[in-house]
Amino acid sequence: MIRFENVSVRFGTTEALSGVNLQVAAGVLCALVGPSGSGKSTLMKLVNRLVEPSAGRVLVRGADVAGQDPARLRRSIGYVMQSTGLFPHRSVAANIGTVPRLLGWDSSRIAARVAALLELVQLDPALAQRLPGALSGGQAQRVGLARALAADPDILLMDEPFGAVDPITRRDLRAELRRIHAETGKTILLVTHDPEEALELASQVVVLRDGAVVADGAPAALVAEDAPDFARTLLGGGQPGLRRLSLLPAEVARDGRPAPADAPRLASGATLADALSRMAESGHGVLALGDGSLRLEAVLARGR
Amino acid sequence: MRAGEVGRALLGLVVLAGLLLPWLSVAPNRLLPGVAASGFAAISWAAPAALVAVVLAVPQRLPAWLGAPAALAGVALLLTATGWAAALSLEGLAPAARAGLGGGFWLGLVAGAALVVARAAALPGMGRAVLAAFALLTLLLLWQAGTFEALSLVVEYRAREAVVHAALLRHLALAGAALALALLLAVPLAWAGFRRPGAAGPVGAALGAVQVVPAIALFAALIPLLAGLLALLPALRSLGLGAIGPAPAVLATAGYLALPLWRSVLGGLTAADPAAVAAARAMGMTEGGITREVRLPLALPVFAGGLRVAVVQAIGLVTLGGLVGAGGLGALVFEGLAQFATDLMLLGALPIMALALAADALIRLLEHRLGGSA
Repeated sequence: MIRFENVSVRFGTTEALSGVNLQVAAGVLCALVGPSGSGKSTLMKLVNRLVEPSAGRVLVRGADVAGQDPARLRRSIGYVMQSTGLFPHRSVAANIGTVPRLLGWDSSRIAARVAALLELVQLDPALAQRLPGALSGGQAQRVGLARALAADPDILLMDEPFGAVDPITRRDLRAELRRIHAETGKTILLVTHDPEEALELASQVVVLRDGAVVADGAPAALVAEDAPDFARTLLGGGQPGLRRLSLLPAEVARDGRPAPADAPRLASGATLADALSRMAESGHGVLALGDGSLRLEAVLARGR
Repeated sequence: MRAGEVGRALLGLVVLAGLLLPWLSVAPNRLLPGVAASGFAAISWAAPAALVAVVLAVPQRLPAWLGAPAALAGVALLLTATGWAAALSLEGLAPAARAGLGGGFWLGLVAGAALVVARAAALPGMGRAVLAAFALLTLLLLWQAGTFEALSLVVEYRAREAVVHAALLRHLALAGAALALALLLAVPLAWAGFRRPGAAGPVGAALGAVQVVPAIALFAALIPLLAGLLALLPALRSLGLGAIGPAPAVLATAGYLALPLWRSVLGGLTAADPAAVAAARAMGMTEGGITREVRLPLALPVFAGGLRVAVVQAIGLVTLGGLVGAGGLGALVFEGLAQFATDLMLLGALPIMALALAADALIRLLEHRLGGSA
């Protein structure tokens, strides 16, 4: 869906990205993580030509973006930014309807789409005629998300979308994004400096440092023992083993032997970290899981 | 007692003070000073009656729908009684005799009108509109009925009716031309300054330098400058350009207006939230679309503020055109000053003030509308 082939970006004398190769498959939520200045935002902006590569190619839907009209390309890709960038002089409904209007949809179709999007991002329809100034930070961010989704793009670019809201709202918005991603199956490129957010949301995590990709893989693989040190330290947050367990479902360590009668039961959908916590609480080394069991040694073996 | 009540009580006291000061004076002709009478002496019983009516607008306990019209009636009574008193005082005198309005009258009139406006502020929008319409209608009826014909100011006006009308139109034309010229200069410069921020500094310094030159000096300096230019390029003369007349007045005034206009256009353009502009670009708006749909709508309220300053300045500054042969209401003011004929000065000055206040109020209304939708 999105492919970077040997891409370099140069701003004046500084090299923002050097020789990046990366592929993001359709329907994947890919998080770009790294310290500030690592080039993660620049990498994302290459996709809709907000930044031009000085070398290499960027392919979107199989076609090199360099040959495409920037305005048309951008209208086909949703964009969410940290400061929302809502138009202060336009109502919430008009803000959400921006790209459909640019694409020439008729007004009744836009109105229907706006109503559907307000429902999707769980905003009160009464807010539609308000101006953005009257919204809370979380509401404004939801409007920003709805605006990005308005023309039903198959690709969504998100530049630190939850960076400017309080922790509780951020948690809600993350859950919202996970739900919307599951419902719509869009390809999402998410730039974040929060490793926890990347691990929680993404199925593919790309770690950048000084303009180069240092790690690229599934979240659990990047905190494993054999992952590159920089990625493991950045994502592991001092407890890489525990973090890895929290990313793996308990089922992966289950064995077929039945559990002892007094073994506590682990709910389905729990992670290995949940299992470890349950064991610590109950003092039992074996838990019941489905019609099989989960043993401490098996859990620990997965933490590496 | 609330703050509003205190303010209105002070205005009531000013009306009283006006009535105690010279209200109406009778002079043998339009230039000689006359014998003045206080308000209480000049309009006798109408003075206390009008004062009582006007003061009804002071107390908060009396509803505004009663207080404001009462004060308006009081002001109307002051005007009517003064007109009648002027006619009465001239009976049996030579035709050259004049009944002039004194300082007390103007003080009382302005304070009374301010009291009406202050009390009407508590009325709903509809009520204020009705009151304003009623006030204008009353004034028109009194004027039509010839109530003010004996006042020296009106006699002066009747003697120069055509001149005053022509001067008013000329004044508006000069101010309009200066404004248009200043816009032609300021808008492209502001756009250039917005596109290339480095250019904004020198332009601001140049336009600011004009403001430092005293207005009269600039008007005067343009005469020899234009004369020199015309001597070099006589062809310009056939375009209607002259060293005296409208050209220096319009040019000098435009020079002063350029700064507030330039500043407000530039300020407006840069007022747009950079995040909104970035979002517009990221969503696939073209540069023209971003300017049209994001920058300009966000710039309009700021621009309207600069336009208001410029329009009011234009109406005021064009007055100096009277000194360089451009005509306009300024010419009446300066002619009055030269003759020491107060009424003639007022004939020029009162419309200038009225125009400036009206323009200010109108554009404020526009700004409010724009601000409300932004």
